[in-house]
Amino acid sequence: MLDLVIRDGLICDGSGRPPFRGSLGIRGRRIVSLGGIREAAEREIDATDRVVSPGFVDPHTHFDAQLAWDGFAQPSLEHGVTTVIPGNCSLSLAPLRAGHRELLGAIFRQIEELPKAAFDAGLEWRWETFEEYVGALRPGLGINVAPLVGHSLLRLWVMGEEARERAATADEVAQMQDVLRASLAAGAIGMSTSWVDVDHEHRPVPCRHALHDELRALCRTLGETGAMLQVVPEFYAADLLCARIDILAELSLECGIPTTFSPLFESLATPSLVGRALERIEKQAARGARVIPQMQTRPIDVSFDLSEPSIPFASKPTWWQVLAGPEQRRLEQLRDPETRAALVAETRNGIDPIALKVDFAQIRVRGVKRPENAGLVGRTLGEIAAERGGDPVEVMIDLSLDEGLKSCFVASDIGHRDSEKIGRRLAHPHVQIGAGDGGAHVSRFATYGDTGRLFGEFVRRRGDLSLEQAVRKLSHEICLAWGIHDRGLLQPGFAADVVVFDPQSIDRGPEEPVRDLPGEAGFRYVRRARGVEHVIVNGAPTYSASGGYSGARAGEIVPRSAPGTL
Amino acid sequence: MSDAPPPVRRWVRPEPGEDWEALAARVFPERELEPAVADLQRWNSHVLLRPPTAPMTTSDILFVEPPGSGESA
Repeated sequence: MLDLVIRDGLICDGSGRPPFRGSLGIRGRRIVSLGGIREAAEREIDATDRVVSPGFVDPHTHFDAQLAWDGFAQPSLEHGVTTVIPGNCSLSLAPLRAGHRELLGAIFRQIEELPKAAFDAGLEWRWETFEEYVGALRPGLGINVAPLVGHSLLRLWVMGEEARERAATADEVAQMQDVLRASLAAGAIGMSTSWVDVDHEHRPVPCRHALHDELRALCRTLGETGAMLQVVPEFYAADLLCARIDILAELSLECGIPTTFSPLFESLATPSLVGRALERIEKQAARGARVIPQMQTRPIDVSFDLSEPSIPFASKPTWWQVLAGPEQRRLEQLRDPETRAALVAETRNGIDPIALKVDFAQIRVRGVKRPENAGLVGRTLGEIAAERGGDPVEVMIDLSLDEGLKSCFVASDIGHRDSEKIGRRLAHPHVQIGAGDGGAHVSRFATYGDTGRLFGEFVRRRGDLSLEQAVRKLSHEICLAWGIHDRGLLQPGFAADVVVFDPQSIDRGPEEPVRDLPGEAGFRYVRRARGVEHVIVNGAPTYSASGGYSGARAGEIVPRSAPGTL
Repeated sequence: MSDAPPPVRRWVRPEPGEDWEALAARVFPERELEPAVADLQRWNSHVLLRPPTAPMTTSDILFVEPPGSGESA
């Protein structure tokens, strides 16, 4: 007797071979049979006209904090994601001494844009070491988690706050290697670092003070088990990115490790960037180096208000300085004619933020506080300015002042928006689907549904990838690269992470705000899934479109495993 | 393993505590300091335009030749 049979579906097994009709048998947490199955089961799912595929793996998330209050990483799981990789960009939540929790919390919230109230109310720190962290996380998991350990955390652990200021001594580097080794043994899938991030005080994150020899030493430790190095490089500039690809290639070759960087963006400001980066990766791959770029499927949309600095103002120092100031000062400056003139001029300076192109006239009013302004919602600043006379930026400032800076705006499609180019890139053999940022930037944009968009836009509408290619990209390819050798394929013996979806309707829904953060911390933007009917995690039906979340908590910590460990 | 491809542009990493002047003196010992610093700053706006709280760090890379002079040319 089987525990679960998914019958008569279109089996897309993750390998990339053409789909075939068949059934899938599950006993306990594993797949035990595939093909024509006559054996009875405790439970059956009819998958007629539906695709049955391996669960998807999301390799770039920041669910570290959210997993403490939501072991399902909602709504990622609804989109068919059965394994998430948090701890990217040098920041994990362990190993961390109790005395550094406030500091790390401030850094994490700044970079990942999470409200303090949610962080404080939802996180109960019950760990210091990585092993203790994994132990605290494990019982609540409904989704699988393959956590990275952050380089900045290793430095803080060994060097204390001096990690924020200086290079490490040889002895400190050796200590970091020991802590990394212990973290990998406890379940970390690799290590993350960053060459660009800044903390809450706009200072470089601790890992950026490392000498290259420190990074090499840590990569040698990763190399003892062939574990992954993840990096966020200067993704917005072609020469810089190519130089960083060379550095990653040397680390990969010298230490015997795979490396991955995120994001790889189609830049409006530098259209040749992605092509040049991929050329470089191909050259390095020909030498045997493993440098894997991660690319998201969605264009960039950013919602913002004038209560704090945000991405549209990233290359505008006067704006940044005004928005970063105390509220009273900010209001005064936004009213001051001289400052306003400088702000308007700066939006025309032609310097675009991080590979994006922001046209303020095209920015739309997303939400207003005062009922008399409701008619402005959905209109562009350019349209309103044309009607009233004046500059779109003045309109944005005036509306914000009128509403106590509570007006919300959305800059849509400001980067990575050319589907023809992106479809070609996503199909590139070296490009991994990732860089989604799940769990971060919660009130700026929804970081969910890249999987659905891959099928909706690039398989169904444009045909850049076949169904089986897309499934392989989201499952087996990521598992291969990251050393997860018992997931990502529908094969007997593999973990029973399975998605059942309608190939004609799978997609992402519209961006919508939900108020489910702990501590009454306001809202976050999400996108619900369309066309995903069942999600099975380690054999447990965990989500269905008709019944929602079952409450099953069958998720695991997924460490790297050696090839052939089935 | 084949040889590494030539860099797209030649670059260096700063040493601990180095500023623009110290870097220019190390990289261009034969040149006058002021124009050497000006060149470095022009070729490395990713470091120059940072806020004062984020000076150059030892993990940065700084180009020591203008765009279009290496393999990208």
